Amino acid sequence: MITNTVILIAGLAVYAGYGISVVYLLSIILLSYLAGRLIPRHRFVMWISTALQVSFLVLLRVRHLLPYSSFIAPVGISYFTLQIIAYHADVYLGKYEPEKNIVKFALFVSWLPHIFIGPIEPYEKMRAALEKKQFGGDHFLKGAVRSLWGLFKKLVIAARLGVIVSAISADPERFDGAFALAAMLLYAVQLYADFSGGIDIVLGVSRMFGIRMSENFDAPYFSQSVSEFWRRWHITLGGFLREYVYIPLGGNRKGKLRKFLNTIATFLVSGIWHGGGYLLWGLMHGILVCFGDKCRTKSRICNRIVTFLLVSFLWSFFIWPDTAAVLQMAGSVFTVFNYNTLLAGLGGMGLTAGDWIVLGAACLLLFLYDWKSGVLKTKFCAFSLAAKVGVACLLALTVLVFGMYGIGFSVSEFVYSRF
Amino acid sequence: MKKKWKTILSVGVVLIGFCIAFVSVSRLFQPKYMTDLEEGSFISQYYREAGGHDVIFLGDCEVYANYSPMELYRDYGITAYIRGTPQQLVWMSYYVAEETFRYETPRVLVFNVNAMRYSEPVSEPYNRLTIDQMRWSSSKAGIILASATEEERFLSYVFPILRYHSRFDKLTREDFSYFFRVKDNTFNGFQLHTEVVPAGPLPAKRILSDYRFGDICYEYLDRLRLLCEENGTKLVLVKAPSLYPYWYEEYDGQIREYAAQYGLSYYNFAEQTEEIGLDFSEDTYDGGYHLNLSGAVKLSRYFGKILAKEHGLPDHRQDIEIAPAYNKKLQEYDKIVEERTR
Repeated sequence: MITNTVILIAGLAVYAGYGISVVYLLSIILLSYLAGRLIPRHRFVMWISTALQVSFLVLLRVRHLLPYSSFIAPVGISYFTLQIIAYHADVYLGKYEPEKNIVKFALFVSWLPHIFIGPIEPYEKMRAALEKKQFGGDHFLKGAVRSLWGLFKKLVIAARLGVIVSAISADPERFDGAFALAAMLLYAVQLYADFSGGIDIVLGVSRMFGIRMSENFDAPYFSQSVSEFWRRWHITLGGFLREYVYIPLGGNRKGKLRKFLNTIATFLVSGIWHGGGYLLWGLMHGILVCFGDKCRTKSRICNRIVTFLLVSFLWSFFIWPDTAAVLQMAGSVFTVFNYNTLLAGLGGMGLTAGDWIVLGAACLLLFLYDWKSGVLKTKFCAFSLAAKVGVACLLALTVLVFGMYGIGFSVSEFVYSRF
Repeated sequence: MKKKWKTILSVGVVLIGFCIAFVSVSRLFQPKYMTDLEEGSFISQYYREAGGHDVIFLGDCEVYANYSPMELYRDYGITAYIRGTPQQLVWMSYYVAEETFRYETPRVLVFNVNAMRYSEPVSEPYNRLTIDQMRWSSSKAGIILASATEEERFLSYVFPILRYHSRFDKLTREDFSYFFRVKDNTFNGFQLHTEVVPAGPLPAKRILSDYRFGDICYEYLDRLRLLCEENGTKLVLVKAPSLYPYWYEEYDGQIREYAAQYGLSYYNFAEQTEEIGLDFSEDTYDGGYHLNLSGAVKLSRYFGKILAKEHGLPDHRQDIEIAPAYNKKLQEYDKIVEERTR
């Protein structure tokens, strides 16, 4: 209890650094806690609470609905809102009793490491994790290594790729065709390194505090179809949407047409959750999930490459500011033949030759890790304590030397914290 | 039990290895300032020669380029050291003075007042040139806290790798050669320039909306004055004879007023160029901004006379404890001067 209270207060104190957001967060914690307690006896409270939370989320997250919404939206609203909605729905369905301890509930909503980029943790799991904290040197060390690996992905890979992608996206008139294609592919890697790196940090730090949280990625770019991709990318969001949108709509139980419509609806909700300007992105993913499996070939490698290209192409919606620009840039890939100038062009975008070498080596390392993560994790667990400390030290030194941080770089900003 | 100790020992070895690697990498990546921006190494060269100076100069480029301690010794037997660094602001001079008093107590502390015009930190790279190679003490902590721009972090001074890690692909032989110790490239803090670039047309004199020095400049000038008083050191204010940036009459008036109020000596050499004998067609290496060797020799002779006569500094040329080392240094100085002016 004391540990939880200390962790909660420390987390809220850090969150208070983001200004007025903390008032919204505290209010939502208190109201959601009370609503949760009321739901078993007054079931309509769940509907009112959900409607209010969804309204706030849509108003604050969907572009242009409210003036300055991007400035007044509380940090992490997309994540804690979904967690609270899921909690209320579960209490409503009688999956578990509402939480009586407000400290535990507040910690579930506002556990600092995950409030900015997830994972979106179901209440049962979070409660179990909070009740059965696993402290100890081994947990601390594994958590530290996980966090350092996350920092490596974020600072060594994502930060460098961000320089290139930003340079290309800032000048679409000059950088189209081959550069647009390069931006799509590089952004796919950047987003993965940034987001999964952030999640590694969250899971690592949580583990250092003895809290085990859900995995959010499972080598998604090794997927052989878009539907598989969504089972391996942002797993906790996918789980939430399946549990609280897709299945309540009927899932796959009411015929092929309903299954198709339910899938599309689920991905449209996902698009709205990402900010409302991503409806077309959600729709296209929905269509690919419905029909993608039919286009599979017998070659695993071929399937993986096609899936990666499709997903990368759809990330364009996150690179360029509006749909028209996305379509224009995507079209230019096939109509503007400036591929002979690509290498020289990329060379002049702010990365040194050394940066490119580091980036290449780091991407290769990430690829190998994702490919053999199971084996590597097992081997790491079998290491002696000194070897584990050695790995942590080596990672720390690598991040310190090859990471992009310091003046001109914002280490605390994650691409996915915008959503 | 044996296994437990073995584990502790092996973890300890790994951690010690990490610390050594961390410190080594930090040291390797920190610029040595030997060929490029050599002014960045000036501050550290003092520690090898700290102690026994009658005069310490503080200030920006207007001190390390314009006064030659070797000439002060040659002509008047005055032992002096210049602790000047590029864009050394008033609060920096205060902390450098504070640090200097840990090593020695000079009779006179000469402060070049040009920095009074700046009441905000100028830029992070300039801060680095003064602070990076300072030894750790409360003075270094103070100078960092007083000087840091918004983007700077204290921690990056504690662990330079946090600032210089991006040099991983810019390391040169210099970084390895001077890993343990940087070489001296000044003579008691004097940067020797023998080139001649005559003064030409200077930028137009701008009319400022406010000529008053900032409160923070006065605050640190007060602290510097009090520090000197506490240590029994005479504070002397000077303005070097640079043609640019302009030293406005309004600036001059404020310093005169301050000097009169606290009984300090103030010499504005920009008004005494004829008496000094300066000729800006031959005594400057950058068109009138700073003096070259010939200008520095003239100014040092002129100021040396003032220091000796008005401030009673002793002549050490016959001092058997001081003279041999200075004479040796003077020979090296003359040799370098001869090489460069040949």
